[in-house]
Amino acid sequence: MAALEHPGDSSVLVLMVRIMAALVRISSVCCRGISPLLFRSSSLIRPLAVQKKDRDCPYLISAKIHATPSSYAGSGSKAASLHWTGERILSIALLGLAPVAYYYPGPAVDYSLAAALTLHGHWGLGQIVTDYVHGNFKIKMANAGLFLLSTVTFAGLCYFNYHDVGICKAVALLWSK
Amino acid sequence: MALLLRTVARQGLCLSRSQFGVLYRPAVPMGTAAKEEMNKFWAKNTQLNRPVSPHISIYKWSVPMMMSISHRGTGVALSSGISVFALAALVLPESYPYYLDLIHSMTFGPQFLAFSKFALAFPVAYHTFNGIRHLAWDLGKGFKIPEVYRSAYIVIALTVLTSIGLAAM
Repeated sequence: MAALEHPGDSSVLVLMVRIMAALVRISSVCCRGISPLLFRSSSLIRPLAVQKKDRDCPYLISAKIHATPSSYAGSGSKAASLHWTGERILSIALLGLAPVAYYYPGPAVDYSLAAALTLHGHWGLGQIVTDYVHGNFKIKMANAGLFLLSTVTFAGLCYFNYHDVGICKAVALLWSK
Repeated sequence: MALLLRTVARQGLCLSRSQFGVLYRPAVPMGTAAKEEMNKFWAKNTQLNRPVSPHISIYKWSVPMMMSISHRGTGVALSSGISVFALAALVLPESYPYYLDLIHSMTFGPQFLAFSKFALAFPVAYHTFNGIRHLAWDLGKGFKIPEVYRSAYIVIALTVLTSIGLAAM
């Protein structure tokens, strides 16, 4: 929402705020329904104060912008952004591995598939943990469990590639019957 | 408009310094990170045993919504399958061809084999094609609503055709 810099605009804003304030007051008197939940009780006072302020310095009434100045950016770490990019690159790599696995099966592709599949799954499940698990301790536990699962998965796949027929051959055998 | 009202109601009217005629408050109070804020929100509200407003139980389902959760669902299913397979490889004594022959000796006919191939191929195909759809979004393409629905139907069609094709092989 853009800042309103011209004094003329503020009157429209104030009018709308007054209408909203009136609505809030009416609704809270008539029906104790949803409205009081939407507007915390203290908001009844706010619009009044806004009107008062408006008279004092009309040219300062403008959109109160939720801005985060760059000085609050903190350490400015790019870790999350790089992680996101890594996820996409891995997805594309996995996509490319599929035809390679079909046309050139062998140990190189087997181990590459093991690594790519495990990491793709690990990062995917990590996103699910981030979405649904809340609370510092629970998040730590979930991520630890996930890490353990992914490690065991990768170990198992590598073991299978080394001591058994390997992923490509396994799929081929499964489909041959 | 709603943004203005929300900021007014939530933050009160302590004036910050105005720059260029624009009033703004820094959105990050006291340097706490967003994650901390979110955790505090959840901790407080679960501790107070507050009920959560109905969301997925009342919102009308749409094709994009179902595609999205299916993408996640197939992802979890495939990942679990791979993990179970890897665990089995570590734990079970015999080799893979042995267990494969064992399963084949127990099967209930060719339809069972074709069906199980379809059941395996379907989530792989769906997750792959919808994954490509996601990658297109990541490039910024295909966000218009008609495009979202069109790509959804294409993914579904490709998934069904590919699964049938793979099951027939």
